[in-house]
Amino acid sequence: MAKIRFKLNNKMIEIDENPNLRLLDVLRDKFGFTGVKEGCGEGECGACAILINNDVVNSCIVPLGNVNGKEIMTIEGFSLSEKFDVISSSFAEEGAVQCGICTPGMIIASESLLNKNPKPTDEEIRIGLSGNLCRCTGYNAIVKAVTKASKKGDGLW
Amino acid sequence: MKDISTSILKIDNEEKANGSAIYVSDITIPGMYYAKTIRSTISKGNIKKITLPEMPENYTIVDYKDIPGKNVVKIIFEDQLIFAEDKVTYYGEPIFLIVGPDKIVITELEKQINIEYEEETPEFEYVNSAVHYNFKKGDAKSAFENADKIIEYEYITGYQEQLYIEPQGIVVDIDKNGKVTLTGSLQCPYYVKNAVLQALDAKDSEVRVIQAVVGGAFGGKEEFPSLTTTQLAVAAKKIGKPIKMIYEREEDMEVTTKRHPSKIYMEAAISKDSEILGFRSNVAIDAGANIGLSGVVLSRALIACTGVYTISNLEVKGDVFLTNTVPNGAYRGFGAPQMLFAVEMFMHHIAKEINVDPLELRLKYLAKQGDLTSTQGTFNDPIIMNEMVDKAMEISDYKQKKIDFAKEGVHKGIGMSWFLHGCGFTGSGESTHINALVKLRKDKENKVHILIAAVDMGQGIRTTMKKIVSKILDIPMDQTIYNLPDTDFVPDSGPTVASRTIMIVGGLVARAAKQLKEKWVDKEDITVSERYKQPEYIKWDEENFVGDAYPAYSWGVNIVEVEVCPVTFQVTLKHVWSVYDIGKAIDERIVMGQADGGIMQGIGYGYLEVMNCVDGKIAQKNVTDYIIPTSVDTPAMETVLMDNPYPLGPYGAKGAGELTLVGGAPAVALAIEEAIGNKVFNIPVTPEYIMELIKNGKN
Amino acid sequence: MVKNIIPTSLNEALELLNDRPFKIMAGGTDLMVQRRAWSQTPPEFIEDVLYIFNLEELKYIKEDKGFIVIGSTTPVEDLLHNDLTPFLLKEAIGIMASPALRHMATIAGNIGNASPAGDTLPILYVLDAIIVLESIEGIRELPINEVITGPRKHVIKQNEIIKEIKIPISVYTDSVFEKVGGRKADAISKLSFTGAVNIKDDKVLDFRIAFGAVSATILRRKEIEEKYVGLTKEELIGKVDEIVNEYDPFIRPIDDQRSNKEYRKTVALNLLKNFIITL
Repeated sequence: MAKIRFKLNNKMIEIDENPNLRLLDVLRDKFGFTGVKEGCGEGECGACAILINNDVVNSCIVPLGNVNGKEIMTIEGFSLSEKFDVISSSFAEEGAVQCGICTPGMIIASESLLNKNPKPTDEEIRIGLSGNLCRCTGYNAIVKAVTKASKKGDGLW
Repeated sequence: MKDISTSILKIDNEEKANGSAIYVSDITIPGMYYAKTIRSTISKGNIKKITLPEMPENYTIVDYKDIPGKNVVKIIFEDQLIFAEDKVTYYGEPIFLIVGPDKIVITELEKQINIEYEEETPEFEYVNSAVHYNFKKGDAKSAFENADKIIEYEYITGYQEQLYIEPQGIVVDIDKNGKVTLTGSLQCPYYVKNAVLQALDAKDSEVRVIQAVVGGAFGGKEEFPSLTTTQLAVAAKKIGKPIKMIYEREEDMEVTTKRHPSKIYMEAAISKDSEILGFRSNVAIDAGANIGLSGVVLSRALIACTGVYTISNLEVKGDVFLTNTVPNGAYRGFGAPQMLFAVEMFMHHIAKEINVDPLELRLKYLAKQGDLTSTQGTFNDPIIMNEMVDKAMEISDYKQKKIDFAKEGVHKGIGMSWFLHGCGFTGSGESTHINALVKLRKDKENKVHILIAAVDMGQGIRTTMKKIVSKILDIPMDQTIYNLPDTDFVPDSGPTVASRTIMIVGGLVARAAKQLKEKWVDKEDITVSERYKQPEYIKWDEENFVGDAYPAYSWGVNIVEVEVCPVTFQVTLKHVWSVYDIGKAIDERIVMGQADGGIMQGIGYGYLEVMNCVDGKIAQKNVTDYIIPTSVDTPAMETVLMDNPYPLGPYGAKGAGELTLVGGAPAVALAIEEAIGNKVFNIPVTPEYIMELIKNGKN
Repeated sequence: MVKNIIPTSLNEALELLNDRPFKIMAGGTDLMVQRRAWSQTPPEFIEDVLYIFNLEELKYIKEDKGFIVIGSTTPVEDLLHNDLTPFLLKEAIGIMASPALRHMATIAGNIGNASPAGDTLPILYVLDAIIVLESIEGIRELPINEVITGPRKHVIKQNEIIKEIKIPISVYTDSVFEKVGGRKADAISKLSFTGAVNIKDDKVLDFRIAFGAVSATILRRKEIEEKYVGLTKEELIGKVDEIVNEYDPFIRPIDDQRSNKEYRKTVALNLLKNFIITL
């Protein structure tokens, strides 16, 4: 066990836990943030993507011990923001949501990308989302949605 | 009012985007237990002895002896056991569950289990035929006797994994009266209910099935959940607790059903003046360790043996072979992708062999309205493939690219596939096996409840069905209600499979809506229902494969442009163009989503997705090793829908879900064939295979 | 009783390591996958784990006495956006896994994990990187090829930590990193090729080649490289077949679930050949 402090969806948290725990399990089971999905458990599919200090990471391969002192944002926390509204409405308008299991992760990865690069090119979007697998959409609607969000949210990022 | 195809926002966008949609893994029930499956570690043999650790309180084993009813999963052909008894027939076969409240304890117990086997030699080759079908059209015998030349090739296709991003999962609950409620990621609530009823030997009212939000399925959650739900229902009956079982990704990839690998042998009888006199084809599909749906998969493959072409004389045969490997099953396309790959390649290879432009040869044999199908049924409805082909060639600049890419030193290729997909169940399945029933109920507040068992697994059915009803009744979308199906409330409108949901179920819903419109009385509770009736002109002889195999067909053209690196043999997709006739789109944006996603699965099947069974074990069992396309692998796409309304579909709609997949593999394979100048016979066309073709292939 | 510790300084970490053995956790991108257990249960570590990823004093990239020096826990994504990062290293990082992985992955992790398919390793070999290992007893510096001794094997002692990676600043007129993976992103190498040359006044001053995933460790043969230093570009290109033949016997890849040996070997040699003839 170890004391671990971090900010979770804008709230300070201190827990005494096994630092080996997967952050994914902590977020889902201890805090009920089930918008963080498990797709592969090995950091490849991106369904469990969250933001740590504004950067996208896959929470299934982040040990709890690595988030000490960090700021964590799950889709639940991010969904309260204006940026989320811009991204999610763009996803809706472009038909980028099908089964939805990859969608929270896709939105998180989009946010991480737009944070660094508010006006990404088509190719930069594809690279930015390359760690998020989607089996339904063939990605093009998602790429269009991120382009649209970047335009609609001009100035937000 | 706007045209039905005009897109609206999907009703479940928001809950899926903000993470509040509840998938099965998100469900917890107080006091819930967990289950883990203990599986065979050999491919074939007898179980000699099972040694279990001492089980702590609240931990138990659930095996075949606990099944109150029959130890078999009720699906089309009943040979999948719920739990193995004294013998095992494939690596990964379920033998029993360990169930208990703490996953860590279960893991510890699992490590102490020892199963001794008496191993037998497993069969991995196409040797044991379990189903054999054959049929004829015209007089193939004399066609081949009179042939000037016989052209023959064999085509081989590999496994394909559905790779829905949400793994399989089920939660079971049990009330004090012993009624079990199963909630899960599944396509067919009534398949599950019927399977559980049989396994538990229970009364209809004792089993309830609810769909959770489904994170992708593609056929992979058609029949497989009938296995896991029966296992959990048996366990819940035994211990009286709610239980959850979510598969790990590796477990999911190793033991769940996949697309059948196949070997397809094609022969063409060619006359002196280069006419195709007839085809003979022999199709072998690998079912894995049991038959399950494989017979139906085979028949869909066989019926597609001439693709979009009219060939007068046919001799068609095929076998389902049992092997000691993971059972294969439903996957979007259901036998057609294998066969259409073979047919499209074969037409090209024939053209090359007889020195005819492939495009001319294909146009010459392209089916026309009124032509006889491979099973001597009739293409009753208009076929607009000529316009579709012209459109596809125009938007892709196909002809010019063909010329440009043929030049020396250019490593690009452009490939075109033509295809069709029969909508709904094969043959008379809709009336004999399914007999769909739908209901609409208007409550006293004038809200209209759509009561069907169709599952939205991402394809947007919850939106399109509401759209159909609200348009016919001329009421706002939010005055219609379509909850996730629950067998306690919805009738059996059939499974969510076979591109039948819009055309068949949607057609019934549309009829029910018209009926409700006529009977509409303000503020009164009214329920209307509609049951499927097979159109009278459709005749099908299941025994002999004679007649109309499907009520309607959707059609498509795919064009794929690739570049093949001469140094690494890697393929880069440059662009994809598609033209489809799906009758009429109920929502254009939703169909476009199906189109993009479907073709990427089809193209992935054709060039990227490698899955092998090595010594009876799946070698690529995670998403690192089983490669599906990422956003970077995916090219820009352009899709055109051409209206060709089908009189019996709602607003003229036909099936769309599978059609968009089935042409991908031949289009990309033909593009690669063009780029490297060697004939392609196998998919996936991997860099390893391209290297081999360049070294030793045929021009 | 397993005791996992999150030290707050490098010194604390070194003292702990001197005291008893720990498994060192950097970004966790390899280790958390290797030790994965059933979902909702902790990964299976039989050893104590030391979490060093958040040691800020190991996160840096700087220029120092002819070297680019990279602190061991610097996430590779940071290196991607830093002007000091050598070009070839950026090339390798740019197509490594995905952004989510790159925010956590470290070069030190690639070294500690010692996989023949580790994406940054061929670059470290080609650039003659020096690995700085620190323990309570002091510091020792070893060239990368002496640190990694086999697949998943290295000589880092139980009480040592990878402190930093020192890359000599060098000039190349031409250099490439080619990763051949199953797809264009989010992939593990089937093989990789790294080539770097410095040609000045039509004279080959430096010629370096490395292959990943074609032998037990990264393949680099300095004795072959040296033979071709001093040639003109034309001469070097003229000897392309000879060079390919020199490397041929050392390329001994395996068959696995990702590719086969024939492909790996053919493509490795194709890439070598292509690199030379397109100089």
